[in-house]
Order: sequence, then structure tokens, then C-alpha cells
Amino acid sequence: MPKPSCLRIAIVVALIAWSGLAHAQTKLVVGNAGGSSADAERKVFYGPFAAANKIQIQEESFNQELAKLRSQVETGNLIWDMVSTTAINVATGCEEGLLEKIDWSKYMDPKVFQEVGGLSECGVPYLFVSGGLTYDGNRIKDGGPKTWADFWNVTKWPGKRGMLYRAEQTFEVALMADGVPPPKAMEVLAAPGGVDRALKKLEALKPNIHWWKNGAESITLLSSGEVAMAYAWNGRVASANKTNNLNLKMELGAGHVSGCQYWAIMKGSKNKELAIKLIQYAVSAQPQADFVRVISYGPANRDAYALLTEQEKATLPAKHMDKASLQLGKLYLGFWLANGDALLQRFVKFAAQ
Amino acid sequence: MLALVAPSILFMALFFVAPLGLFLFRSVDNSEVPGWLPRTVAALSSWKGAGLPEEPAFRALAEDLAALSGSTALPLLGRRLNHDVPGFRTLITATGNRVDPARPGSMREQIIGIDPRWGEPLYWQTIRRERHALTWFYLLSALDLRYGAGGGLERAPAESAIFLDLLGRTLGISGVVTLICVLLGFPVAATMAGSSPARANALLIFVLVPFWTSLLVRSTAWVILLQNQGVVNQALVGLGVLEKPVPLIFNRLGLYIAMVHVLLPFMVLPLYSVLKGIRPELMRAAASLGAAPWTAFLRIYVPQALPGLVAGASLVFVLALGYYITPALVGGPGDQMIGYFIAYFTNTAVNWGMASALGTILLLVVTLIYVALGRLAGLERLAVR
Repeated sequence: MPKPSCLRIAIVVALIAWSGLAHAQTKLVVGNAGGSSADAERKVFYGPFAAANKIQIQEESFNQELAKLRSQVETGNLIWDMVSTTAINVATGCEEGLLEKIDWSKYMDPKVFQEVGGLSECGVPYLFVSGGLTYDGNRIKDGGPKTWADFWNVTKWPGKRGMLYRAEQTFEVALMADGVPPPKAMEVLAAPGGVDRALKKLEALKPNIHWWKNGAESITLLSSGEVAMAYAWNGRVASANKTNNLNLKMELGAGHVSGCQYWAIMKGSKNKELAIKLIQYAVSAQPQADFVRVISYGPANRDAYALLTEQEKATLPAKHMDKASLQLGKLYLGFWLANGDALLQRFVKFAAQ
Repeated sequence: MLALVAPSILFMALFFVAPLGLFLFRSVDNSEVPGWLPRTVAALSSWKGAGLPEEPAFRALAEDLAALSGSTALPLLGRRLNHDVPGFRTLITATGNRVDPARPGSMREQIIGIDPRWGEPLYWQTIRRERHALTWFYLLSALDLRYGAGGGLERAPAESAIFLDLLGRTLGISGVVTLICVLLGFPVAATMAGSSPARANALLIFVLVPFWTSLLVRSTAWVILLQNQGVVNQALVGLGVLEKPVPLIFNRLGLYIAMVHVLLPFMVLPLYSVLKGIRPELMRAAASLGAAPWTAFLRIYVPQALPGLVAGASLVFVLALGYYITPALVGGPGDQMIGYFIAYFTNTAVNWGMASALGTILLLVVTLIYVALGRLAGLERLAVR
């Protein structure tokens, strides 16, 4: 049967040609956290940028394991071109030569990032996330908790409390509950006796704490009523309210732990120029505002606020910046870089007892 | 004959023994400190460790650090020493970036001027202790031991001594899970072995279903079923059986349920294949010779089933030892297993020495258990005939 085999050959040839063409297109590989934030990034950043520049953007899962950056750079076998990562990873990756050092001020105005700690040598902030006191407005109707001391008050508001199973953020919150003004929390924690003070405060609440390990868990705990209140991240809360029709309320005025997620470029990436272009686009005012509309994390670029309505701004921490313990700066980075491992051990031991 | 096994031996050597050996070596490897601080290490070898070292040691340190300045070796050396003493990282990077060995005057004054911590013996003692190409530091830490100020061994402070607990807990949880799997798996495998092939296949599918479900889906399903506001608790409260929900998950009970659910097939399958081979005539023969059913079961059936039981139990036990995602999802804070820290040290902390030390100790303990069990139970006699 010559006819079908001719057809088959033609199909195969066409497929090869097509895949060849697809490969000819430049491909930018991004490591990001996946989940709802990656969905938003795809919609607002990757999609429009890829279409406008006729390139392909491929996403890979990156759960902030520094080892993944290290192994790619050290073996010289780069899989990713750029990553979305934390302030701690940007600082370490930059120092240890895993990320490209770039003079970002050539590509963007550093002033618009001032409020969120500015540009870093290797990274550009693109979203501002706040962790704060959250409860279900359908279960606690009037006179909800206003402070972290209220969060600790299980007589007035009985029920479990959801908290992050991590020393970082949880210790800062414990100090706020102990009366430390949020902007001073990091300073008190880093001073002698700070860690003991945080642990002592946590000890008082420990029988009522339900530890959560990933952001999605904090939301299900709240929506199922498994916990009465929880420490949760604002983007998760807002998108759960939107997509699952929940009525979760955040009390950012109680004090919050906030920091940025950064874009950074892998050391030695062949697509460095293109990655810079994508980052330049993603942190410009319009996409930054669009991003807020999709996921409700704060913009890093302050110009984006001008493009948002009052209602859209309501879930953002902009009004409560005086109540923030910021996850940036020398003190924060130095403290957690030096003590992170030791404190995690201590925390895990504490939580298990 | 040798030609036939050579490929598989070569394969084992290349892809099993060699990586395992490299991995074990990581737990004692200390090439960073003598490699990057050669002059300091040489200068400190004659120092006794009391008080502060002399000027030549300060000069050697200044020269070593200045040579590393600007390269990525400086922060990596800092990371390495930070494992021993928190804060060492910033001490190394700050000093390395500022020190100038060409500047006249006392190096000691210059270095202590950059960071007064260099005036404390602790940091010098640490470098001196880690001056060799091999170190016991990681293995000792994994056993909750450390070097005291005088150089002798001491227990890590109670607040951070965590690994022995974790090791014991990991072995305990794995042991209980194995026991439950034996108790649940034996009747299932025996029923399957005694059924017609069609029925046995149907039963096999039930056993295999958890095998084909993703770990996250499985764990989440248990959360939905067992949490306080979950299906089981709400039904029991609604029916009046319980007054208020009983915690069934986010504790040890929930962890056992979820782990047994996943690991049961590893018990049932090897057991089934052995039980299928036991000839039913033997039980009838025992009965005809006057053995009561219980006696026949214990003396005829169980001894023949033992190879399957041992194979299944070993599989379940070893697999259970490596669990850490399930404990994180359905266990409480007291149910964390050692795999959590191995993963943390490997991925997040990039402290491969510590990850490898924990793995090495786990491997050693398991090997010891097997050897001891083998001696006790005479495993060599259990070889399938």
C-alpha cells in the first residue's frame, strides 16, 4: 500500500519540520513557585511578553531550594535562565556567584522601588507579600481580633490558631504579640535574649497552635473552621476570597511580616538580555497593577498604585506600612543567614515537645 | 559465568556503590578549610588553643582571606564555618572584603579592628579544630554531640539536641507501621492465596489502588476525611456517637493511617506470592495427623510464609524510614521524621555534610538492625527453597 505510507512519511516530515521551527524560536526558562502566583505571572507577565517578542517562555517548578541554583551553575549545565526567589536567596546567590550581578539602574528607575527596599545587586523586587492575622468573617462576625495579643487570647476567641511551621516570620509575630512594635521586631529578635523571648511567647499559645507548612493549607484550615484564626499571606487570602467566595478578613493593622519576591538571572544565562527585558516589562507600572488585580499581592513598583481603584488597594498593606516587620535589609538578612539552620532545629524541637 | 554477571556487577559499582561511597564521604569531607586557609591552618597547628594566637596567625589569616577576596570562595568558606558557629559567615565575608595584609602595623590590631569577634578564642579554636582534610563535626552533630570549649566532647544543649530524638522516632514510627502492615496484610494475602484466580485479581486491584494515586491527593483525601470538621468526625457527631470531634489526623494516629495505606501493597504483594506457593494439602495432612487448626497454622503455615513476611516487612520498614512528606502533611509537630532534615540540609541549607551525616547514621543503624535480626531469627535459613 504505497499511498498510506507516503502519507505517513509526509506527516512525519511535517512534524519534524514543525518541531524544528518551534525550536528555532528562542526559549526563556523561568523557575517559579508554581500554584496561584505562577498562574498570575503567566497571565500578566509571561503571556503578553512572549507574544509581543515572539518567544517561548517555559516554567519550571522552584520551591526556593538554593541547591537547585548551585547545582546548575556549578555543573555549568544551566536549565533555567531566570528565577523568582526570596530576598535571602538573592543575597546568598549573589554572594556565592550563582546569580548575575546587573546594574539595574540602567534599565529602570530605582526610586520607584524605594518603599519595598530598593533594587538589589542581583535581583529586582516584583511583588510585595504580607503575612498577617487572618480570620473567617462568617464565623467571627462582630468585634473580631484587632491585635496579635487578641490572637493569643483563646478565652475570648476559643479555637485553634494556624501558624507557619518555620522560625522565620513566626518568631517576629510572637514578639509583636509580646508587645514589640512591628518595625522593631527584627531588632529585638536579633538582640541577645530575643529568640528566648519569642519562644516563651509561643510556648503560651502552643497547645492551641496548628502548624501549617504551605500557603494553601492556611486557607483550608480557615475555611473549614479547623482553626479560628491563622497567620496567612495576603495574596492567598484575597484570591481565596475571590475564587472560592470566602469572607476571610485580614487585620494588617495588628502588625505584619512583609517582604518581596524578586526576579534574578542565573549566572551565565545565554538569554540574559532577553531576561532583563522581561524583568523590565514585568516591573513596569501597568503589568504591576494588572498583577495586583489577578492575585492581590502588593506591587513592588509604587507607580502601580496610581492605576488601582480604592477597592483594589484595600487588601494591600500600603496603609499599614508603619506596622510592618520587613524581610529585607542587612539586619534581617544577616540574622537569618547566620542563624537560620540553628534556629530551625531549635524551633522544630520546641514545636515537637 | 563471570562474563554473564560482569555487566550487572559493573552497573552496581557505577550506579550504586560509587555514588553511595561519595555520599558517605561527604559526611567527613572537610577540604574547604585547609584548602582555602592553608597559611592560617599551618600557623595554628603549633598553637595550643588557649587564649588568642600570636601575630603570625593573624597575618596568615589576613593573607588567606585577602587571596580569596572577591571570589565566590570567600562566602562559601563562610558558609562552611557558619555550620560550626552561627555568625561565622558574615565574619569571614566582612573581614575578607576589608582586610589589607600590605598595610603596615599589627595585623592583630587591624583584624580585630574590622570585627572584634576575632578577639574571641572561639573563632580561632574552630578554625584550628577544622584544620584537617577530614572532620568528625557532621557525624558528631548528627548524634547531638559537639566539641566543648576545652576541646572534649559534650552533649549539644537540650534546646537544640534534636537528631537522636528524630532518629528514634523515625525507627519507632517505621516499626509500628511495619507491624500494622503485617497484621493487616497477612489475612489479605492469605485470603487472596486461597481464592480463585478471578477473585484474587479483584482483591489485588483493591490493594493496588493507593499505589496509583499521587501522594498529595492521597494525603489531602485523608485530611478531608479525618480532620475535626471532616466527614468521619461530623458523621460520628451527627449520629450522636461522639459528643465532640476526636482528633484523628495531624497526630501520630493520622500518620499511621496514611502511611499504612500507602505501604500495605509492599507487604501484601511479596507475601501473596509466597503464600500462593504453599500447598493446601500440607494443612490437610497436618489435620489428618491430628493437629488442631491453630497448631497446623502455627507449625505448618506460618513457617512456610516466613520468607514472604520477612521480605514484605523489610520492604515496608525501609521505605517507611525515608518518609517525610506524608508526616509533614498529616502528622503533628511531634511526628516529623529524619527525612525532613535530610531534605532540608540538602536542598535549602545546602549543608551536604550534615545531610550526608544524617543519612550515614540512618544507614548504619538500619544495617545494625538487620544484622541483629538476622542473627536472632536466623534469616539465612529462610531462603526460599
